[in-house]
Amino acid sequence: MNRNNFLPHVALALILILVAAFAGQLRRWQTQWKSRGFRIIPAEEKWREPINNIESAPYEPRQANAPEVMVKFKPGVSEEAIERITQGLHDQVEDEIEAVPGLDAIDDLDDVDAETVASEYRKLPEVEYAEAVFEIEADDFAPSPVTPSDPQFSAQWALLNDGSRGGTKGADISATYAWTVTTGSDKVVVAVLDSGVDYTHTDLASNIWIRPNNVPAYEDRELGTIQDFHGFNAVDDSADPMDDNGHGTHCAGIIGAEGGNDIGIAGVNWKVQIMPLKFMNKSGYGTTKAAIEAINYVIDRKKAGVNVRVISASWGSTQKSRALEDVIRKAGEAGILFVAASGNASTNNDRSPHYPSSYNLPNVISVAALDRNDQLATFSNYGVKSVAIAAPGVDILSTWLGDEYEEKSGTSMATPVISGVAALIVAHNPNISVDQLREKILASVDPLDSLKGKVATGGRINAAKAVK
Amino acid sequence: MTKEEATEKARQDLAKRLGIQESQITDQSVSDSDFPDMALGAASSGEMSGQMMSKGWKIHLKAGNQKYEYRADKNQLRLYQFKGKNYKI
Repeated sequence: MNRNNFLPHVALALILILVAAFAGQLRRWQTQWKSRGFRIIPAEEKWREPINNIESAPYEPRQANAPEVMVKFKPGVSEEAIERITQGLHDQVEDEIEAVPGLDAIDDLDDVDAETVASEYRKLPEVEYAEAVFEIEADDFAPSPVTPSDPQFSAQWALLNDGSRGGTKGADISATYAWTVTTGSDKVVVAVLDSGVDYTHTDLASNIWIRPNNVPAYEDRELGTIQDFHGFNAVDDSADPMDDNGHGTHCAGIIGAEGGNDIGIAGVNWKVQIMPLKFMNKSGYGTTKAAIEAINYVIDRKKAGVNVRVISASWGSTQKSRALEDVIRKAGEAGILFVAASGNASTNNDRSPHYPSSYNLPNVISVAALDRNDQLATFSNYGVKSVAIAAPGVDILSTWLGDEYEEKSGTSMATPVISGVAALIVAHNPNISVDQLREKILASVDPLDSLKGKVATGGRINAAKAVK
Repeated sequence: MTKEEATEKARQDLAKRLGIQESQITDQSVSDSDFPDMALGAASSGEMSGQMMSKGWKIHLKAGNQKYEYRADKNQLRLYQFKGKNYKI
């Protein structure tokens, strides 16, 4: 070899060696990942599509020649000795783990079960330890979603949107992942301030609040003593908040239709206590005075020891009431979150306020409605300053009068989704303050392009993030 | 309340409100309609309503040269924007 060509030849040889070594390592990494049957899910993808990623992950059964045991030979045992031992057991070394001297992945050519093979090696004096290779499943990295047994759950796109009926897969609140953390608690009370609630509905009855024995009956200076067994009726100032319209029953089902009971639907909370309040009449409207009376009742019950944490208010108008604002503020001071519908006039609440959702109070959350494609509902009010967040509110299936179920649309339907998520958060974190609860909800959104400049958070509620 | 009953009630209300005979009300039309809330998009003073899309009817009446709109469903009848205000009938 010409002395002048020597150095370039050595450099070229070194490069070729490095390329070959790197290619070999890549192949080894590939084999190792494949044998474990999982793929890496990017962090931002994790909450959106993990169900399908996990279920459709390219799981491959362990192949016949895949290593079955990991054997660590004692220091000083030579490679020749290891080969002799493995051949004697009709096995072969599949791979050496260079980082741990003496550790080999060994394949049993007879396909005896891995634990038996490992025990054979453990008996040998040359072996420090031997263990069967076990497969790492994807479940070790992300929780499996929880799906309820309720037969109409598949129609509840707000909770799990599978893309059917023209929807967008994943355009939902990730409820099935929130439920891996909590499905709610019967220690959390949510007041449904509405047209009442059908507390006899089969899918609601077990989640209806009943005044505990240690809480005295409701006393009102003008009305006297009201034996409030299930809640309060401010339309006729009675103890019976039975719904004669359907609207309140629908909202209640979104918050807390009993989940996993093989009946109908699941609420955002499978378990919760719904406190029915009636201030709207059979036609679905009511007076500010009746609303104020009912909120006053809730504050009284809270002070009497009832764990009311949320008032769900799927109603409103463009008329401002100082008195209503004052009583909602008092509810906040009592530790009660007030979740309110932004309204259905397709208008900007920053310019034309809608009350009570537009009251600038620290315990109020104003809610816009989304369709099953994560688009702002055509009817929904919005407002980047005055509307906080969005939730599903079009074609929402829920409980209705007469033990029935109906699909309804409106910011009325989006509001109890947020109320329900608030209750889930409280179930998971019972000592959370009303300020923290509001903050937590507003921080738990999936940002959507369709909501940029429309709502303050720019996003749709994500229940799984909310209970993290 | 049926659509026909709501229409008849609307005619009676308008006649009384304007101080005219029902026979002077002309150009009646009734159409199915979706409303933005449970007050049929015609809340009157001091009212709050459920923010759920609801179905009902729009009843258009004419008396003299003026047009009037009533809104109704099976439970209620409202006069929409009569001299700038909504009325529950």
